[in-house]
Amino acid sequence: MTIDLLKLLLALPFALILPGFFFLLAIFGGKSGKISFFERAVIIIPLSIIIIDLIAILMDKIRVPLEGVMLIGSIAIFCLVCFIVYQFRFGKRGAQAKDRSENSENSNDSEKIFDFSYWQTVVILISIFLAVFIRTTYLADTIVPSATDLGHHMFWVQKIIQTGHLPVYGMPDFIIGEHIIFAVISLISGVKIMTALPALVLFLANIVGIFTLAILAGRLFKNKNITALCFFTSGVLYAINAPQGKYVSGGVVGNIIGNMLLPLALYFLLRALKEKNSLFAGLFIFSLTGILYTHHLSAFILIFSVAAIFLAYLLANIRRIVAVLLEWVKIFSRPFPIAVIMFSLFYLLFIFTPSYFNPEAVSQATGQPIKATRFGLDFEQIEINSGSARLILGGLGFFLLLIGFERRKYRYSFALGWAFILFLMSWQPGWLYINIPSTRVGNYLFLPLSVLAAYGMGRYFDLLKKSTTKFFSAVLLYTILFFVITYGLSDSADAFKIKNQFQESLETFHSAEYLAKTADTSRDIILKDHVNLYGDSWYKLFFMKDYKYPLSRGVLSRYADQTKPRETCTRDMIMIPETESGKKCFSETGVNFVVLNTQLEGNSFEKYQDFSKVYGSNYVSIFKKNDP
Amino acid sequence: MSGKIIIIATIILLIASFSVLFVIEAKNHSYDYKKAWSVAYFENPSDDSLDFTIENHQGEYAEYDYKIFIGDSKVIEDKAGIDAAAKQKISPVLGGEISRGSKIMIIIGYKDAEYKLYKTL
Repeated sequence: MTIDLLKLLLALPFALILPGFFFLLAIFGGKSGKISFFERAVIIIPLSIIIIDLIAILMDKIRVPLEGVMLIGSIAIFCLVCFIVYQFRFGKRGAQAKDRSENSENSNDSEKIFDFSYWQTVVILISIFLAVFIRTTYLADTIVPSATDLGHHMFWVQKIIQTGHLPVYGMPDFIIGEHIIFAVISLISGVKIMTALPALVLFLANIVGIFTLAILAGRLFKNKNITALCFFTSGVLYAINAPQGKYVSGGVVGNIIGNMLLPLALYFLLRALKEKNSLFAGLFIFSLTGILYTHHLSAFILIFSVAAIFLAYLLANIRRIVAVLLEWVKIFSRPFPIAVIMFSLFYLLFIFTPSYFNPEAVSQATGQPIKATRFGLDFEQIEINSGSARLILGGLGFFLLLIGFERRKYRYSFALGWAFILFLMSWQPGWLYINIPSTRVGNYLFLPLSVLAAYGMGRYFDLLKKSTTKFFSAVLLYTILFFVITYGLSDSADAFKIKNQFQESLETFHSAEYLAKTADTSRDIILKDHVNLYGDSWYKLFFMKDYKYPLSRGVLSRYADQTKPRETCTRDMIMIPETESGKKCFSETGVNFVVLNTQLEGNSFEKYQDFSKVYGSNYVSIFKKNDP
Repeated sequence: MSGKIIIIATIILLIASFSVLFVIEAKNHSYDYKKAWSVAYFENPSDDSLDFTIENHQGEYAEYDYKIFIGDSKVIEDKAGIDAAAKQKISPVLGGEISRGSKIMIIIGYKDAEYKLYKTL
């Protein structure tokens, strides 16, 4: 256990720090006025994840097996290449020339934005402590692998580990970037997937996401109070609710990594446009590529967000629209962004095309919503989704930004355009021809709302200082703070109350181990009950035969899909096994093992004559269909 | 300087948190740690063998009593004492000839809990 922990603690920085560190070194050099130590420390982790994805994809393409030593070697080669580029660009003579030109314009400027005062540092440290502590407390009761989504994802990760190659999914639901990073860390460290590893990687991504949002807020408003408050609004408020702690333990991989990469991409875009800097333009394209390889919904949200930001800025500057457009074209038509665009296109088209890059998947996500869950959220649902405290503070921030709108400044179009489009996508997706479950879109609202909430609070503090009626302003401030803390932390209080279900998970795993040992997977077909068995989605990792092996009875509402007919055998073989339709299902599917919750269907199954009961624990019963 | 303090503090916090969570998971990813359950199963579910195993995950030594029935007649009644975190394989010897289609049922009891296994030969 201790050795495994040490190996993991060494593998994490190797995979998640070194590639990003050397990549930034090659781009910006050792010490650059363009990027502060604080920003560099934050950015290297998401960049490393993207780089690791691209390295693994390339290795697979050129038939290099994805094994621990090979991966370590490939990462080392990448770092070496970056170091050579760094030496070439910045070493000795190059360094003097570059440093002079780059650092002269805004030397120390970057450091100043993130050089916090004593009290700002205290606020940030308390926020980070609370963010980590609340999540750790919550995860302590859910850390044994059991979550459904995580189980599905980890099957593919295990497939990479087992075969040494990237999997062919055959379905658009999974994207390669959701799995590579887990496989790489497991292969490098030797720590197995059915441990805390997946949850810890997601936890790290979630915490880094708070930082990427904070550096975006820092660059947007150049106000250190707002940056410090952003740690509170994004990290502490609603720390457990989706898409935070619950998504970490639930294994909603794409969202968690997407929530980290989205603010990063916007941070690069902001700096590219604001500072007319082509390096940041290239890094924006690079992070967009990373998102495309990681999560379709996050990529979709980013594309809409960028379109809204561009549109907001162009509308605000309609009189000089041509000049603005030319300026943007100029930024993106320099060698570095063009090289990154070419490189990304080459990768996406010729090296590895994500499974959702097809007309069918695109047409499924666009057009008029066809299901009730896609018609949009009402205000009450949006409030539940984002959290009332965050929503009200975000609304305050939105209002304050709107009344102080300055059309030439990017901060307004960025913050307002981003929040507005996500609100519209959640509230009235039909207006934008979006056909995606609205709650999933609504989960992204917390990103701009956290930034706006920090802005709202920060500006309110500033107004309070200037106010002549300090007494009433202070009363109002403390009332708001009381409301924010009580409502915003209410979900965190629940983290201390939940009861773990480790025993149920372990009993499920034991039954899977039993079947993996005794059943012949080439002949025996297993059906398990997803509805009443905890941790059952991890069952498939014990067999590693096929994503759909064993068969599973899903949530009952899934069988009543009005948009397309669904198979019902997996339901009928458990609910009505002795009826004609049940028997027909058994003969058609060949199912001969049924795994059930002992106390529920397990009890009623005992009365059926066609089955033997071959396994019984307090929680799981396994029945075998008698041979005819 | 404050940026470095924040980053270093975050790294320390995360290392502490990861270590705690890793250890919690590793300890709890055991059939016995802070758990109380038992399981009984046929050694081979697909043939006519009646060998079965009882695993004790009750966290203490447990004495299981088991009865074996052919149809409705009880043919064996015995006890099996099993240490905590241990298992015991039992190979019952049924006297006489068992006719094809007979249902063999094994009922294992521990305190109030009952674990039932059966096969139709």
